[in-house]
This record gives sequence, structure tokens and C-alpha cells, in this order.
Amino acid sequence: MHTLDDLRRIVRRIDQSRPARPAAEPIETLVGGALEDTEHGPIVSVRREYALDHRHGATAFDSAFSAAPSLLGVLTRQGAPAGSVRRLLFLDTETTGLAGGTGTYAFLVGIGFAEGDRFVVQQFFMRDLDEEPALLAALAPRFAHADGLVTYNGSGFDVPLLETRFILARRRWPDLWHLDLLAPARRVWGVRFTDCRLTTLEHGVLGLSRDDDVPGAMIPALYFDYLRRRHAGALPRVFSHNRLDVLSLVALTSWLARALGSPEECALAPEEYAGLGRLWERVDPERGLPCYRRALACGLSGAEADRVRLRLAWWEKRRARWDAARQLWEVATGAETFDPRPWEELAKFYEHKRRDFAAARRVVLRAVERARHTVAGARARQDLDRRLARLERRLAASR
Amino acid sequence: MFTYDADTPQDARRAVRARANLVLTNPDMLHSGILPHHTKWLNLFQNLRYVIIDELHAYRGVFGSHLANVMRRLKRICAHYGSSPQFIMASATIANPRELAERLIGEGVEEVAESGAPAGEKVFLCYNPPVVNPELGIRAPYLGEAARLAARFLKQKIATIAFAQSRLATEVLLSTIKAAVADRTGDAGIVRGYRGGYLPTRRRAVEHGLRSGEVLGVVSTSALELGVDIGHLDVAVLAGYPGTIASLWQQAGRAGRRSGRSAAIFVATSAPLDQFMASHPDYLFGTPPEHARVNPDNPFILVNHLKCGAFELPFAEGETFGDADVRLHLAALEDEGLLHRAGDRWHWASETYPADHVSLRTVTTDNFLVIDTTARDETQVVRRQIIAEVDWSSAFATIHPKAIYLIESEPYEVQELHFREVEEKVAYVKRVSVDYFTDAISAKGIWILRRLADRAGRAYQASQGEVLVAEKVVGFKKIKLATLENVGSGEVELPQQEMQTTSAWLTIDPAVLERVSPSREELVDGLRAVTYLLHHLAPMFLLCDVRDLGSWLGDSTRATPGAAVDTVQSTRRRLLEADRFNPTIYLYDSHAGGIGLAERVFEVLPDLLARGLDVLSSCRCRSGCPSCVGPVNEVGRRAKPIATAILESLGA
Repeated sequence: MHTLDDLRRIVRRIDQSRPARPAAEPIETLVGGALEDTEHGPIVSVRREYALDHRHGATAFDSAFSAAPSLLGVLTRQGAPAGSVRRLLFLDTETTGLAGGTGTYAFLVGIGFAEGDRFVVQQFFMRDLDEEPALLAALAPRFAHADGLVTYNGSGFDVPLLETRFILARRRWPDLWHLDLLAPARRVWGVRFTDCRLTTLEHGVLGLSRDDDVPGAMIPALYFDYLRRRHAGALPRVFSHNRLDVLSLVALTSWLARALGSPEECALAPEEYAGLGRLWERVDPERGLPCYRRALACGLSGAEADRVRLRLAWWEKRRARWDAARQLWEVATGAETFDPRPWEELAKFYEHKRRDFAAARRVVLRAVERARHTVAGARARQDLDRRLARLERRLAASR
Repeated sequence: MFTYDADTPQDARRAVRARANLVLTNPDMLHSGILPHHTKWLNLFQNLRYVIIDELHAYRGVFGSHLANVMRRLKRICAHYGSSPQFIMASATIANPRELAERLIGEGVEEVAESGAPAGEKVFLCYNPPVVNPELGIRAPYLGEAARLAARFLKQKIATIAFAQSRLATEVLLSTIKAAVADRTGDAGIVRGYRGGYLPTRRRAVEHGLRSGEVLGVVSTSALELGVDIGHLDVAVLAGYPGTIASLWQQAGRAGRRSGRSAAIFVATSAPLDQFMASHPDYLFGTPPEHARVNPDNPFILVNHLKCGAFELPFAEGETFGDADVRLHLAALEDEGLLHRAGDRWHWASETYPADHVSLRTVTTDNFLVIDTTARDETQVVRRQIIAEVDWSSAFATIHPKAIYLIESEPYEVQELHFREVEEKVAYVKRVSVDYFTDAISAKGIWILRRLADRAGRAYQASQGEVLVAEKVVGFKKIKLATLENVGSGEVELPQQEMQTTSAWLTIDPAVLERVSPSREELVDGLRAVTYLLHHLAPMFLLCDVRDLGSWLGDSTRATPGAAVDTVQSTRRRLLEADRFNPTIYLYDSHAGGIGLAERVFEVLPDLLARGLDVLSSCRCRSGCPSCVGPVNEVGRRAKPIATAILESLGA
């Protein structure tokens, strides 16, 4: 907080003459764009075109645009988009901060879309904060004609931010179908990588490394510097950062569509198969279970393997394929950290299906032994004790 | 109808925003949660008809000045969405409700002054506990007397509320009353406790019990003075003077029904202020309630809310903020690099979220959790039973290691207190069975860090600058619950709680003092009287509340690392025994960092001293009262004339 004296000093300084701001460089030429006219005045617009089968890193774009809408529906709880995959907008924004709320601006908005046999990335940039009406005017018709948005972390950030900007400008926000790739990315790569940032996936999945990239955290400061001092030198790098983000969105969508459509044809890591299984399981278990089995066959290990076994066993149990289920549970009881669920299932299986109370009792006793000294065990203890007491009663009655 | 505050679950918030016709919230949530996200409340702001502010009198001083600015922001946003809500406000009795309301919302109001309170007959008693030791003038302990009175009513099945002046006093009073009203099985459930720090579930249970009649009596801090609906009771026992006339009537007003008789009894403590009130009941009845003052244009507060306002909507050229012309402020913020001017508007141009850095209240939200470990189970799986919360500022005094912490008069002993920065702030306590409670002994000190401005008068030097105010809990007394006798003491090792703030200070030329009186003792009493007087007069000049300022009589020592704090007695002794007698009166900003109050004190000091002399010469008391130099027993018989002489010699 500044003190009263600071304020006085500052105000005195302003009372003296204010230096005229240096004239802005023509930023649109610097970033290779042009001015586009809108009903609210001109806006800087940069357009880049790519072939529809463009390769971004190791991944080609085309699987994204040839994918059946239902395949994209596997990636989001909203289900398949209502229109055409070719009418989706791949969206990324650069903003004046991460704080959210009404005081954060999206000063650069990049959208990617198919146009004939080309893929176009179009970027709109405000040269000053009063150009926001023009930026929104340029975006609004493009949103109105789109069948949906694809973003990375857009449901937590970009989309509410743009919605806020639209409402502030008294514009109606079009409630578009929205695929936020962060959620499926976490399912597929959450175990494999330490984080799920877009750059992590570019490096680990798309086989891409960014040279001379601006770190995202620096971008607001660079923009403020441009606003106050008209230093535009770093801005081309901000534009290319945003463009790469949009391209990576397409590549990632393409990768996911291909892997979901024909997992058997892709040579994937076991964790990735497990992740695809999770995505499919919710929509179509018939396609999810093979992915799970494949993950185990490829050598999935650790806690993730036990989680997959429990899911598989759950489905086997539902189909009354008890032997298959029992084998999976038995392997899962060997997990390094104690998990009461496979023990419980095994005990239920012996007690209710086999009606072999002695075997059930042995399972519970082994579980109690394993449960000791663990936090999860302390919580499960009551259930185990109750089950054990009931088994003792039934054993006594049958004698 | 929905509640939207810090306790509203995240997943329920969206539904509240979309569906609520009536939203119950608080100024803090409005400030940091709703206004900065107003687009999410489109529905509400487009259709907002009424803004209702209850307990208006609480929004005074710095807190009220913040609220007035939050209202300016609210009205800007309403205007943006095309609504223009009507404000409806309700206040407890204060001297200037209309003025306060108009300042808070920045427009004219119509005042409705008829009292809607129950109009049955009401008796008000001032009760001074009997003298039990005539030689030393010691009176019976007031808490015991208050408990005896309350218990007598409760035994007659008369609904009674007892107010105590601190959380500790509340617990002690409750414990004593419970012992007196317990039935043969030892059950005393008809009387409950109520104070800040209790968990919400406990508080709701007590409120419900009072309304339903299951609970006949309640012992509370000022927490039950306002707002909370507990129905009407028959008797209010006020254990100690609550500090303001307005509070006194608010507490007394908790007793009263539409018909039939009710009573309020004020039980005086042995403190000078209470003794004065008890022996001058005409003062209690004749003094109007206090003024509530706010200053929405305090530059520190205003600038902070301008930041928040600019975050919410850009400021247009020539736009005022309420009725304040803020062109210079906006330009200053632009120079600071927080706003950016584009076209004819100032936009927020920073990565930060300004409301997060502006707190409407001085208290920090960094609370301590009190965790009962009595029931840790045998498997050593830690069970965390949270039983209370204690705010940061009072933690060291109430939950220091070995303290007895009372919750509804149940004693818990503090085993460990975790207060270091990296730690989670918790106190681990164990249920114990003891017949005493603990009362912390604290010490205080104030040192000069940096002198920013000086003005030499003929007989004194006035300065303004940054100071370090330190308080420290050094030990505790053990006090027996039944008799309130001192039965032991202990020491504690706790760090000193420090605050840097701004202060004005006044050092008087020793030669001048010598001409007033040859006795240092008389001078110290007189200076303490002047300190009290200036502290209580300054809010009139500053448009703040008495609590927004702190005062201290010390000497002009510069801060040295690790300087030791003093108790009030040892400071006095130090002044009396010092080689060089240079007593210094400090008036400091109680808000960490300062919000400009000390600078104002420094500017208006000559006027303040002159007004002080006016007050002394026109006050009709003989040798000191709370309206001038403070109650006579506190400052001494000679304080008023000495204070008058000191002020005269300062050329006031």
C-alpha cells in the first residue's frame, strides 16, 4: 500500500506537465497482419493458413477433422457436438492476468478453424484497452457461426473470461458446445506425467519442442509494457506463442481422435491405454474393457494397474464371470498400499457365492492383518470386524 | 432467498447467482466476491430493487468509511446495468443516524425515528457491589455479584440475559451462574453461553433454545447485543459498563416485552470508569449516545476502493466516485502503473485482484483452531475435534500454553500452541477438571522507527512518523472460579506481537513541566489525563472511531532491536525514575501500516490542544470524568487541574 505522502508526491508530479506518449509503431506490420474493420472500429488481425494434413510435431491434423462427432463426444460430458467437426473453433486467449473477474482482459484471441482444404489460425489483438469493443465485434459473428469450441483449460479460464467480456460489453454470450481438452488429458496422461500442462504434452506426446517461446507467466507484463511504453519488440513472440497453442489444440484433438477410434493400431504406453479405457468406459464399456486389458498386457504396474483390475473385475462381476473377477481381485489384494475393496469383494464372493464361510473368514483375517497400522485400514476396520463376527456366527451355526 | 458468504459451498454458488430473488450477504463478500464478478450476477444487478443494511450503527469509523466506498462501487455497477435500488437502513440508537446513513450511501434519506421497541414498564438499576474491606475500599467482585443477581432471577423462572465485557469474563460468569442454578442432578442446561469463537452449530443451538424457551438464560459478550433474533427476555444483567452509552442501551434493550415489567441492572466493576458511572447515574441517563463518524474520502481508503472500482468497470473521464472528485487520484494510480488510460477511460491494468489486498476490517482472518485431543483413540489415528476458534489478536492472551480455556464454562488446558508462520495455527487442548481459570498478564511498548515530520512549538515538539507498537503476553494469573481469589501464577515464553504503524507524538519541554508542578508524580497523572483527553477528542477531527486510534504515554525512545515491553505500572515507574524526564504522548493509528489518521492528528494538533482546554474549562465535573480527562480514580484527584495547567502552558 502506498502512503499518503506517496500519493501527494505522485499527484504533484502529475500536476506538472504530462509528457506526450510516443506514437505507436504500426504493430500490424510487425506481426504480419492487417487491420480489419468492425462496427466498432479497426482491429489488428493476423491470419495464417496451413494444409489440412499439416504435421505439428509428430502428429498430423487430419484425424481431428475426419473424426466422427460421436468420437469427440467421448471426451466431454456434453456428448457429441450438434454440428460438423469442421465447424469447431479451436480457441486460446492471452490475457492481462490470471486473477479472473471483471478486471482481466483478453488482449489477444486466437481461433483456428477449417476453411475449404485449409486450416486457418486467425488472431485478433487490441492495440489498447479501448479496442475491446472492436475485438468482440470481430469475434461475435465467428462464434455465432461455429458449432462449438475446443480449448485447453477453457472451462476454468478462457470461456468464463470471454463470457465476462461479452456481458460487460452488453453482448449476448453464445452458449456453444465446448470441449475442454484438459479433462480428458488428465485421464490419459495424469499418471504418466508429473503435470498436464500443454507444453508438457507437446514435449511428451506430440514430439514438439518450442524454441524461443515466451513463458506464459511473462505475457501480461509484456503487454502492459507495450501499453505504457509502446515497446512492441516482444509482441511477435507472444503472437507465435498463442498460435502454437492453437495448433497444439488441433494436434491433441487429432491424437485423441485417432487413439480412441483405433487404439489397437497405435503403439501406446500402458498408462495411455488405461486412460483411453477410462474415457471409453463411461460411454461404451465394450470399447473400454479391451483398452484396460491391453494396458495390463503391456505391463501396466503399480497403483494404476490395481485400479484398472478393480474396474475390470467390477464389469466381470456384473456379467457373473466370477472366476475372472476372483483372479483380478486376488492380484489386487497384493497391492503395496492397503485398499479394502478387493478384500471386501473376495470375502463377499466366498460368503455369498461359494457359501464357503471358512474361506471367507480366512480372507477377512488376512485383510485385518494387512489393515493394521494403515490409515485406510483404521477406517475399514469396523466393517471388517462386523463381517468377521457375522462369519464366526455362520460358521458356528453350520457346525 | 439465499445466503451468499464465505461459508457458501462453491458448487452452490452458481445456483444462488442464477436463482436468488433475495441475497443475504455481508460487506466483505460484496467487496471481494460479488462486485468484482458482477457479470455473473447480471440477473441480480439488472433487477435490484432494494438494498437493506441492518445494524447501520456498526458501520462507523474506518470500517464505515470502507463500507461507504463499497456502496459507491455497488451504485456504479447498478447504474451500469440500469437499476437504481432504494436503500433501507436500520440503526440502533446513535446521536446521528440520518447523517451516518447519508454519508454511507451518498444520498439523502428519510428518517423514521419512532421507536418500535416494546413499551412495557422498565426498571433500570445501577448496582455497585458492597464494600467488603472498608480500610482498603475493596468491593465484592462484580462477576460474583452479577452471577448472584442473574441466578436469583433464573431460579424464579424469569428469562435473563447477562452481558460480560470479555470472552473470559463471559465464561467465568457462566460458570458461576451454572453452579448456582444447577438442579439436584447437577444439570444447568437452562443457562447457556454465547460468544465469538464458538462454532456456528453451537451458536445456532443456543439461539434456537432461547427462542423456543428451552433455554431460560444466556451469558454473552456483546455478540448478542445486535442482530441475532433471540426473542425478548425479562431481565438484562450488565456485568460492567460496555464502553459506550449506545452499547449500554442496546444491551439493556434486550430485556423488555410488549406488556408487563422488565428490568436492566448495571453491575459496576471496580474500574474507575464503572465506579464513576455507578456514582453518577445522572451521567448515564443524561449523556446522549455517541456519534457515529465516517470519512469516505480518507485518501488511503478512497484510493484502495478506486482500484477495486476500476477493476469492476473502467472510469470515464469526469466520472465522480460518489460525490468525490477523483481525477487526481486516478491520475496518481495511472502513474503508479495500476491504471491505464485509453481513449477517455481509465482501465485496470495490472495482473492483481485488488479486492484481495484491501481488507474492510482490521482483524486478520488468520484464526487459530482449538482442537480437543482428549479423545484421541488408541490406534493413534489423530482425531481432530475442533471445538472453537480464536482470532489472531487475542490468541496469545487466551490460548497460551498452560492456559485454561473455557467453553461454556467447561475447562480445557492448552497443551501446545502452534503459531509459527509455517505452521497451521492450532492449539491442542485437553479436557481437565480444575477449579480455576487463567488471566493473561501482558506488557506493551511503543518505539519510534522513523521521524517523518517535526514541528517545534514554543513549549513542545510535535512529530509524526512510523512507530513500532509491541504487545507481549508475559505470564498469567490463576484465579479460583468460586471466589475469584488469585491462587497462583505462571510465566510463558511467547514472541511479542508487533505492529508497525504511523503515529503522531508530542514531547513537552521539561522546563515547562517543571513550572506546572515540581512533583513528577502529579505530572505523570496530569499527562495521562491529557493523553486520555486527546485520544477521545481526536475522532471528532478525524471522523473516525475511538477504537481506530491508540494512545500511550511513554518517552521518546528510538527502537532498538529486542527492546523490552513494559506493563503499565513499570512504564510509570520508568518515567518517574528516569534521569531525563521527557514524557511523550503518542496517538497512533490502530490499523497496521496506518491509514492517514496519525498525519491528520499531527496537522490538527494545535486545534486539538485548544479544544482540549475548552472541554476542561467547560466540563462541570469537579475532578475528572469520562467526558474529559477520564474517571477520577484512574487519573487521580489532581489530574484535572494539572492537565489544565499543562495545556495552558502549551499555549493551547
